[in-house]
Amino acid sequence: MTSDPYSARVRELFSGAEHAGDLEKPDARVQISEQDVRLALAADIDDDIIVGLRFRAWGCPHLLAAAEAFCRAYEGRPARGLLTFGAAEIMQTLPVPREKLGRILVLEDAVRSLGQSVRVSPDPGKDTD
Amino acid sequence: MNSDADIVYLDYAATTPVDPRVIDVMTPLFGTGGDFANPSSGHTAGRRAMARVERATGQLAELLGCRESELVWTSGATESDNLAITGAARYRADRGRHLITMPTEHKAVSDVFARLEKQGFEVSWLYPDAAGLLDPAELEAAIRPDTQLVSIMHVNNETGVIQDIEALGAVCRARDVLFHVDAAQSVGKLPLDLGSMPIDLLSTTAHKIYGPKGIGALYVADRPGCHVEPLIFGGGQQGGRRPGTLAVPLIAGFGAAASVAMAEMQQDREHLQALNDRLWQGIRDLAGVVRNGGADCTFPGILNVSIEDVEGESLLLALEPLCVATGSACNSKSQEASPVLRALGRSDLLAQSAVRFSFGRPTTREAVDFAVVRYREAVARLRSIATGLVA
Repeated sequence: MTSDPYSARVRELFSGAEHAGDLEKPDARVQISEQDVRLALAADIDDDIIVGLRFRAWGCPHLLAAAEAFCRAYEGRPARGLLTFGAAEIMQTLPVPREKLGRILVLEDAVRSLGQSVRVSPDPGKDTD
Repeated sequence: MNSDADIVYLDYAATTPVDPRVIDVMTPLFGTGGDFANPSSGHTAGRRAMARVERATGQLAELLGCRESELVWTSGATESDNLAITGAARYRADRGRHLITMPTEHKAVSDVFARLEKQGFEVSWLYPDAAGLLDPAELEAAIRPDTQLVSIMHVNNETGVIQDIEALGAVCRARDVLFHVDAAQSVGKLPLDLGSMPIDLLSTTAHKIYGPKGIGALYVADRPGCHVEPLIFGGGQQGGRRPGTLAVPLIAGFGAAASVAMAEMQQDREHLQALNDRLWQGIRDLAGVVRNGGADCTFPGILNVSIEDVEGESLLLALEPLCVATGSACNSKSQEASPVLRALGRSDLLAQSAVRFSFGRPTTREAVDFAVVRYREAVARLRSIATGLVA
């Protein structure tokens, strides 16, 4: 159905949001609240690798799906990747309609804030002097 | 469970399936061998088609308690509303340009008034009380010497609130102001006797009462000063009030649906009341759940509920495969909170969490029980995902 506002991917992420919840003692936790969106992210980091991610959210299905997609994609990745997370990737892959961009940008802000709140080791490929 | 393989339909206020008895009446009117002719034609086939129209007009007139000559066939309630409001406002514009309605009306009414405002008419928008009702005294106070038309819907399409149209109409009649009623949600469901009620114009449609989509009617009382200027021209059918070739199969279907509704109105209402009570009893203990519209003044075919701390769009998706309506206006693509629920004093967030369950003749207790379980599960899950978040 072309009139369906939710792709199969969004539906699967929304209904199977296995990363919704909390971590027992997260290394970092952030929350952002705006009028139509409330979003919290928590991360466990081990040796600069993200070993656990969880989210809590109050918002539209696209926001919940995007948060779940982020958690699935970033577990196992270097924590430094949080600092450069961009909403564009999520917007295209779910996909998310343009009118929901603002809500996905909240996720982007939360992820980058999460990255700033953990001790992120410098990228070994870059000169940090 | 009155469902297809993958849906449970609880959106009968949006539209209904066509009753098989109605389909039986309509089917022979489409093809060769049936009364397919143009009813305006003077030959035998045309006269036979016109006889079908006349029979249906009689059936609808009987349901409404009016004269056949007081009915105008239209394409549906939206056209009827447009014709009634614009047509009456223009007809009486030389007497005055003040009009009265409510922000809780269907967009087929409120958007027409908004357009008339841009064309030099002045519109007073009256707000309901917390239950959704308009006090006749408030209407009386709003009527001015130059007021020409008041439009108040009978049963609200979102909340099911039933306005006291007799009392409101009496106020209008006493002041020689035309009274229009959008009765899309009430015709065939609540008793109406237009011959004795102070109503001048009344809009209705077939597809809310198990008739076909694409056919409606406007009642125009045969009394001095009550007239509508046509919106379209050409052909002269229906006395020029709404020209165009009459859609015989659709009209016949509306007539048949009207007859069935008249015969089954009481048992339909008892059935709907039992379903409404069952659903409300199944969810009323949930924390933060509120009923939109006073319980004592709502049509039982509709149950509209809001709930705290649950986001409306996610709730709707989590409720699938239930087919219900949201609190996000009539247009489900809109994220704007329903003006109807805002007028009842609901916050934007509470209005956006609203779900309208609406029941119909085919709805079963099993479908309602499924809805109860699904609603409770969806609320619990979404609240769980949002646990601990600070607003």
